[in-house]
Amino acid sequence: MTPSAAISINNLHKTFADNEVLKGVSLSANQGDVVSILGSSGSGKSTLLRCINLLEVPTSGQISVNGEELNLKKDRHGDLEPVDPKQISRIRSRLSMVFQSFNLWSHMTILENIIEAPVHVLKKPKAQAIEDAMELLNKVGIAEKADAYPGELSGGQQQRVAIARALAMEPDAMLFDEPTSALDPELVNEVLQVMRQLAEEGRTMIVVTHEMGFAREVSDYVIFLHEGRIEEQGPPDQVFERPESERFKQFLSSGL
Amino acid sequence: MPDFSLITQYGDRFWDGTLITLKLVFLSSIIGLMIALPLALARSSKKRRYWIPAYSYIYFFRGTPLLIQLFILYYGLGQFPMITESFLWPVLGDAEWCGLIGLTLNTAAYTAEILRGGIRAIPRGEIEAAKAFGMSWGLMQRRIVLPRALRIAWPAYGNEVILLLKGSALVSTITVWDLMGETRSVFSRTYALEIFLYAAIIYFLLTFVLTRVFNLIEKRINRYLVCY
Repeated sequence: MTPSAAISINNLHKTFADNEVLKGVSLSANQGDVVSILGSSGSGKSTLLRCINLLEVPTSGQISVNGEELNLKKDRHGDLEPVDPKQISRIRSRLSMVFQSFNLWSHMTILENIIEAPVHVLKKPKAQAIEDAMELLNKVGIAEKADAYPGELSGGQQQRVAIARALAMEPDAMLFDEPTSALDPELVNEVLQVMRQLAEEGRTMIVVTHEMGFAREVSDYVIFLHEGRIEEQGPPDQVFERPESERFKQFLSSGL
Repeated sequence: MPDFSLITQYGDRFWDGTLITLKLVFLSSIIGLMIALPLALARSSKKRRYWIPAYSYIYFFRGTPLLIQLFILYYGLGQFPMITESFLWPVLGDAEWCGLIGLTLNTAAYTAEILRGGIRAIPRGEIEAAKAFGMSWGLMQRRIVLPRALRIAWPAYGNEVILLLKGSALVSTITVWDLMGETRSVFSRTYALEIFLYAAIIYFLLTFVLTRVFNLIEKRINRYLVCY
């Protein structure tokens, strides 16, 4: 756990009511790393990702982003809560997230979706934001839809817009929460292709996914979660070729 | 056979009354909406110190008749020397002001509940996205929550303004010369029942125009719904 890690998580626990979803998970990602988090549903992988930007507040543990530890304190029930909303907002604006169900703001056009946070959170001049947004839309291949509303786009197109929206923040790291799970099979590839391109550009990415091919070919490090614990981890060659955990072997052979 | 000469004779009084009604409905719906926005946010809050006062306000204004609220404002407050001698009296002693305040406070309560429904109907993921992109609470309400809630609630809000238009007839009971006030006064001079029919037609036409206006705005702000 080096201080230069883009993201580091130490001994994270998360309990919902009396269901312990994360039972002490540690992980770190260096600048430029692509880390894939695998696991069957209910393994806690999405919760882990959502703890990084505090969409879920962990029950205990430490999280640092670019060496800055998130300031959490115990509330009167003994659960953690953020101390400083400004710190949380600032750190969230450095980590952008791509969701399973896209979560584009449906009352805004595609272009408005992309410039929204750069203009209002990062205070970027609007003209500049629009110029950058158009460039990003070109990059993800849907510039012609700039003035459409999210409801007029296919799932794959919406997810590519969501990726452009995340890139517009010029984030230090990107969090992907099962970005292809809600897509029709024929639309999965167009999104994976964009993600491969981002990985090649050397972006720091934490990706929760069911796409084994992607995890194997693109990531630098793979983590397999089972019932809230890391069961298997390592570089993809190692974990896919010589898995040690029985559960991970089962998971791999379960037809994915 | 109705006596059409009543229209030529009293037409300008209907006109004056209609203008007062329009003014009251226009101002109270706009100011009411301004009050309803923060009220709806407070009502939707999980913190007791926000939702309890907001809910009490809404409960009071929805739970008592507008007529009684107007009577309390106009006749009730005048009983207290503390108020009649204060700087507020030029306002609270004036029937039209009391009518405006009563209608505004009343519609704010209903509108807040309508907006709360809108807020609750916003997909959770869109709120999460706003948080995940580092928006502060205030920015998120201003840019995402309220604009989205208002769009969802717009048809129901249009209904509330139509109810407000017809509810505004009650201000005639506290001596405001709105359309209903003028109508009653003309009736008491002429005893011609068709006077009420003419007033009803004017209210109907106002409602008709109001509905059209709301539909036009709805088409504009809800363009994003094209494909749902």
